[in-house]
Amino acid sequence: MKTTILPTQSERNAQPGASSESIPAHWVALEQNSQAQTGRNYWRSLEELEGTPEFREWVEREFPAGASELSDPVNRRHFMKLMSASFMLAGIGLGTSGCRRPVQNLEPFGKMPENYVHGVPQFFATAMPTQTGAVPLVAKSSDGRPTKLEGNGLLNPDKKSGTDCYAQASILNLYDPDRTRQFAYKGNNTTAEKALEFLGELGKNAEKNQGQGLAFLIERGTSPSRLRLQKIISDKLPQARWFVHDPVDLDIHRRAATAAFGKSLKPFYAFDEADIIVSLDSDFIGSEDDATSNIVGFAKRRQVEKTDDKLNRLYVAESLMTITGFNADHRLRVPSSQVAQVAAGLANQIGKTGISCLENLAQAQGLDAKWIAECARDLAANPGRSLVLAGHRQPMAVHLLANAMNAALGNVGKTVLLLETPPSKEGTIADLAQALTGNQVSTLVILGGNPAYTAPADVDFARAVRKNDKITVVRLGYYEDETFPISDWHLPAAHYLESWGDALTADGTLVPVQPLIAPLFGGLTELEVLARIAGQKITDPYAIVRETFAGTLKGADAEAAWRKFLHDGFLANSAPKGVQARIDTAAIGKALGEIKVATPSKDKLEVVFHRDYKLDDGRFNNNGWMQELPDPVTKITWDNVILISRKTSEDLGVTNRELVTLELNGASVTGPIWVQPGQADNSVGVALGYGRTKPGRVGNKVGFNVYPLRKAAAANFATGATIRGTGKSYKISCTQNHWSLEGRNIVRETNLEEFRKKPDFAKHMVEKEPEGAGPLYPNPLDDLKKKGLHQWGMSIDLNKCVGCSACVLACQSENNIPIVGKEMVGRGREMHWLRIDRYYAGPGKMTHFPRENSEDKKTFESWIDNPQTVMQPMLCQHCEAAPCENVCPVNATSHDQEGLNVMTYNRCVGTRYCSNNCPYKVRRFNFFDYNKRPIDKLKLGPFATRRDDEWDLLKMSKNPDVTVRMRGVMEKCTFCLQRIEQAKIAQKTKAGASGDVIVPTDSFTTACAQACPADAIVFGNIKDPDSRVSKLKQLERDYSVLEFLLTKPRLTYLARVRNPNPAMPDYQAEPYTFQDYENRERKSGGEEPETPSHEKNGKKGEA
Amino acid sequence: MAAGATTTSHVVPGIPANVPQPPEELQRVPLVANYHGFAWISDRVASLTEGPAPIWWWVCFIPSFLALCMLGAMLTYQISTGVGVWGNMKPVMWAWDIVNFVWWIGIGHAGTLISAILFLLRQRWRTAVNRAAEAMTIFAVMCAGIYPALHVGRAWYDWWLFPIPTSNSIWPQFRSPLMWDVFAVSTYFTVSVLFWYMGLIPDLAVFRDRAKSRVRQFLYGLGALGWTGSNRHWSNYEKAYLLLAGLSTPLVLSVHSIVSLDFAVSQLPGWHTTIFPPYFVAGAIFSGFGMVLTLLIPLRSMFKLQDIITMRHIDIMCKVTLATGSIVGYAYGMEFFIAWYSGNPAERFHFLNRALGPYQWGWIMMVSCNVLVPQFFWFKKLRQNLLVVFIISILVNVGMWFERFVIIVIGLHRDFIPSSWGYYRPTFVDICTYIGTFGLFFTCFLLFIRFLPMIAISEVKGVTPQSDPHHPMGGAKKVEVVPDED
Repeated sequence: MKTTILPTQSERNAQPGASSESIPAHWVALEQNSQAQTGRNYWRSLEELEGTPEFREWVEREFPAGASELSDPVNRRHFMKLMSASFMLAGIGLGTSGCRRPVQNLEPFGKMPENYVHGVPQFFATAMPTQTGAVPLVAKSSDGRPTKLEGNGLLNPDKKSGTDCYAQASILNLYDPDRTRQFAYKGNNTTAEKALEFLGELGKNAEKNQGQGLAFLIERGTSPSRLRLQKIISDKLPQARWFVHDPVDLDIHRRAATAAFGKSLKPFYAFDEADIIVSLDSDFIGSEDDATSNIVGFAKRRQVEKTDDKLNRLYVAESLMTITGFNADHRLRVPSSQVAQVAAGLANQIGKTGISCLENLAQAQGLDAKWIAECARDLAANPGRSLVLAGHRQPMAVHLLANAMNAALGNVGKTVLLLETPPSKEGTIADLAQALTGNQVSTLVILGGNPAYTAPADVDFARAVRKNDKITVVRLGYYEDETFPISDWHLPAAHYLESWGDALTADGTLVPVQPLIAPLFGGLTELEVLARIAGQKITDPYAIVRETFAGTLKGADAEAAWRKFLHDGFLANSAPKGVQARIDTAAIGKALGEIKVATPSKDKLEVVFHRDYKLDDGRFNNNGWMQELPDPVTKITWDNVILISRKTSEDLGVTNRELVTLELNGASVTGPIWVQPGQADNSVGVALGYGRTKPGRVGNKVGFNVYPLRKAAAANFATGATIRGTGKSYKISCTQNHWSLEGRNIVRETNLEEFRKKPDFAKHMVEKEPEGAGPLYPNPLDDLKKKGLHQWGMSIDLNKCVGCSACVLACQSENNIPIVGKEMVGRGREMHWLRIDRYYAGPGKMTHFPRENSEDKKTFESWIDNPQTVMQPMLCQHCEAAPCENVCPVNATSHDQEGLNVMTYNRCVGTRYCSNNCPYKVRRFNFFDYNKRPIDKLKLGPFATRRDDEWDLLKMSKNPDVTVRMRGVMEKCTFCLQRIEQAKIAQKTKAGASGDVIVPTDSFTTACAQACPADAIVFGNIKDPDSRVSKLKQLERDYSVLEFLLTKPRLTYLARVRNPNPAMPDYQAEPYTFQDYENRERKSGGEEPETPSHEKNGKKGEA
Repeated sequence: MAAGATTTSHVVPGIPANVPQPPEELQRVPLVANYHGFAWISDRVASLTEGPAPIWWWVCFIPSFLALCMLGAMLTYQISTGVGVWGNMKPVMWAWDIVNFVWWIGIGHAGTLISAILFLLRQRWRTAVNRAAEAMTIFAVMCAGIYPALHVGRAWYDWWLFPIPTSNSIWPQFRSPLMWDVFAVSTYFTVSVLFWYMGLIPDLAVFRDRAKSRVRQFLYGLGALGWTGSNRHWSNYEKAYLLLAGLSTPLVLSVHSIVSLDFAVSQLPGWHTTIFPPYFVAGAIFSGFGMVLTLLIPLRSMFKLQDIITMRHIDIMCKVTLATGSIVGYAYGMEFFIAWYSGNPAERFHFLNRALGPYQWGWIMMVSCNVLVPQFFWFKKLRQNLLVVFIISILVNVGMWFERFVIIVIGLHRDFIPSSWGYYRPTFVDICTYIGTFGLFFTCFLLFIRFLPMIAISEVKGVTPQSDPHHPMGGAKKVEVVPDED
């Protein structure tokens, strides 16, 4: 190829009279340059070296096609280079992605690590540290990056080990593109070396005056290594001061136990030992710390297999509707500020507490005395087998009363274990602010948290810090958030999956926090920062943790123990034994004297600040999975709301979804109203963690911030608020708008007594089906089944499911389920393969279509005040006669011989007919390219692209075993087909020639079942009579949803059994849903009196 | 029967001066009023496409064409961005897309019904309206076809719905009603186009013979396939026409029956009903006649075709509308009765929800437009009032649109599991796409009336009194002609 840009060498040579002088100088330079760039030259002959015309001529004759390029500086390759460069430049002009090719580093193993097989995931034990404990985990590592977290089953082999939502979602934080990536000094990027050098100097300078003026602000934690470093620093710098700040104060349980028993103790609740549980505003299933192990214990006692099985009984007195309230057998709706009276009433009735002056407090107005009396009687009847809990939002007095009751009932040492714990002497953030304003602090080290956002409003932390320019603020933070602008030094924090650490679980077992990956952006850990300030030689977190571990373990074979510790993910028998202690009644009596009980009214509303089920105190604000997870109670996504009862909303004249101004002590916030069934009257619930001013891309413009209303003295609830309607409506994306079962038999439940009389009640709650109804043709699966080695099935125990939603997130994490954003959820396009349906039921007679202001509507509404709640995880039922399959025109959804309804994404064209024909509505359609496009630009189609950094991290977070679906295809639960196949392949490999290819019984399970702490979801091979799922399906409570459609689901449910106390005033002989169902049956029977077919069908059900 | 084009342009169409009384058995209102001659008919119809287009044509054409462009833009947006630009959601996975598909395909029923079934039944009045109705059918099916082809998530794989086993060794799923739809609609469209074109051939020859420009002559000549009007041509033509009519007749009934199976085969309450096939066909004819009336009432006055499309034609079509509308009304009643009689709670709930639920307005629109409004056609006076007929014909189609909306959206939005219930709302893209299909329809239709004979010239001649040899005016008798005023 010749170009006309420059004459070629041969042309130049061919020019008559051409001499070296006639060649422009830059050509020569070019020529030399091109030679210089290609490095060492080799030549074939001396002629070539000389470059004689004869040689060139010879070459051209021999290779006529490309000969001229041999020495031409502007050759074909060069031309291509130039042209591609100019095309790339043109690409920039067109704004295409041509110029934004990401830098990709391919780093193959120089040497293959031992036992590593590419593509086969590895599992490592680790733990997620929480404020007062840790969640022991096993992390799945796919080619060097963590992709999924599971509970550590080794820890409690006899118990189920699940995880909670926070642990499941925490893995996404690791891949958050908005994480801070740079060390910064005064807002400008700096290097890690400078920052680390500064830390060292900071320690040295502090040593000069024994740490005078040095202050630390930390979050609660259980790390022994941190405690050790804290001690080292305190020894070295005795004047340094420590403060601790957690917006949600879960430490109160420890403080209460310490105060009640006069020793430094913290309680641990053995739920599996308790027959009667009374929760005083304690959401131990949801927002209390260590909810996972609470659920494990609680659900274990909701197991009913035989009619003589004993169930625990849960009484709840609370203001907000919580998931604990959902699971209550008896629930008392009472404002948070009056829970103290309930506690006093209970304590008074129980007696034996040795506390005087209860009478006055117990004489509460408007409280259901009979409820309290009967509840107390039930407690007293079960000494040593009962448990009284106070919630973290309740004041100290209520906690002390709960402790007193437990002591009086003889529960201490049985259901309440008191564990010795090191005392905590740190100050609060209010103390810190005082010290700051008093110029007592010159250097402030903030480790974690986001105090500028979460500090109480009256503390005004940001102003206190910035009041004095001389204060140097060093901050270890995960985001460049609200605290970033007030910090001088910003150090990026490492995720717990990137860093070494240790922690204690709620029962005191030592667990390692083992990293799965090197810090993605070079973040530091608390331990390293503290070690550097302490001037330690060892600053490597790994070494610090090992050193702490060596100190814990005395005399044993340290190396082997350490290896076992890391392998198992816990140190066996490291949990302390419970101690006995005597209750200090005098201290309790004194605390009770100080309690002030306010009675909220509609002009003086009570505001309850609650920990969000999803965002916690705001730390999960930029986590898309959490934002999109339907709140377990309200089913709202991407927003917080002002929770209010129906009666209060009527009193105030505000309507659902109306934007209102909530004013408390001069401060006000604006948010939407949500009328919440079961909410206490005159009590308003607001969730923390929303309305951030410096959020990331995900948390941007989500919800409203309630921290400005929150004062240090009344951080959990405060009375005296008013609500003013604005008349404007606000869009809320709620995933479940209809909350009545309409008398349908989808969720079946009864009471324990009825269950004992009629254990197969669920099988009688069937819809009438026309006589002779049945399939016209034999089901092809019936033949196919014979070929299947396994038959997969699932059983969900509605009696155990507490509705915590960990399964929803586990499924999302395992199956690469995208998030779709608020607007799409509002349009009903959320992608969760597994959802938790929640229905309310009440005593009112159902009318389907109440007219506005009609009597019907009023009854209909009034019963929602004290509803009963049921929850039902709903996912693909894997029907044997699946209605979705025969309507797909392209065979994209079909059945395999093992009974799975499989979905072939590649084949799907997206007619969506399958979803229309799915009676369970569990199929999800990719309306947009949710993976490729940012959620706020979905509608821009091909014009919207993700930024490279976001894209790279997004890709890392995906499970490589599961297809990432494109737009236009249907998707749904696959029963974790990838796990099934992995198990089958593993077994085949193991079987070799033996032919024993049947997967061992219950050797693996689905992501949802694995995450479920309640053990409500059980998956397995129903062909194997020994599998747990086969046994569960044999239980009499087993039923399938919509069986009258003859879909024959492989997923069946175990009906729920409530355990109410017949002596209670709110006792119902049958649950409301059952009454509703019977009413409906009677109603349809009334139109056709004495329907014989109904009877027949009933008998058919029995047969 | 007279041959194609024999008149020349300078002959003035006229009315016979003295019309002899026909024998008693032939004394009925002639289908072509005012005893026009053959030449007048050819001239009247052909002249519509000759000379410059009237202003009203441009006034209609430009917005139609712009709407067509909007359709293109909307579909490009939808295909490039995703189905999410429409309002479809869970649980209402089908919404305006399928509503409009069924609506358009229903409209597409009248044409072939008129041309095939009425032909076989020797309903001679059909000749005046069949050509336009058939054209309407074809364009309506085109509009309809857009939706199932492009409403899917990955429209570029639509070809997987065709049974081409060699492409990827997978057959389509023959148990799926959508599969049957593919066959039913494509067959219907093909046969309708063939049938329509067959009928056009003699008339294209007329146009060819009248053409003054080479281009017209060539193009119409191409379409006329060398038609000379010989006896042999006529004989073959009539045989073929009869055969095609016979072939089309079952298709008229099958297409909408199969479309109805999309719903009836599913297990959804309100969809899973055996009444659907006949009820859908009746509804389709109902809406098809409504659309024919909507189109022809303005056209006959704009094009001065009152003598060819007479009040008698309109009267008959009104009666058909009334009859089919009443069948539809009966079906509505029967659905409610069966829901109650079956004792199936899901079915009962669905029908209560139809009448009393959040989409009650849709149900009220449906019942009032489809059942109540056509009852005005019991009165001859109203059938003769063109304004009334025109308004009712539009309301019929509004009602039929709501019928599909009621069935599809109300059926889907509340089914078995209350937690999944939802409320569907369309987006502007839904609305613009729907308006865009009108653009396609009217663009095609306006081009049709501008360039093709919108009245079957040869057939209309066949139903004039003078083409009947027994009629006093028929045969080769001489009739004195008085020249017209114009």
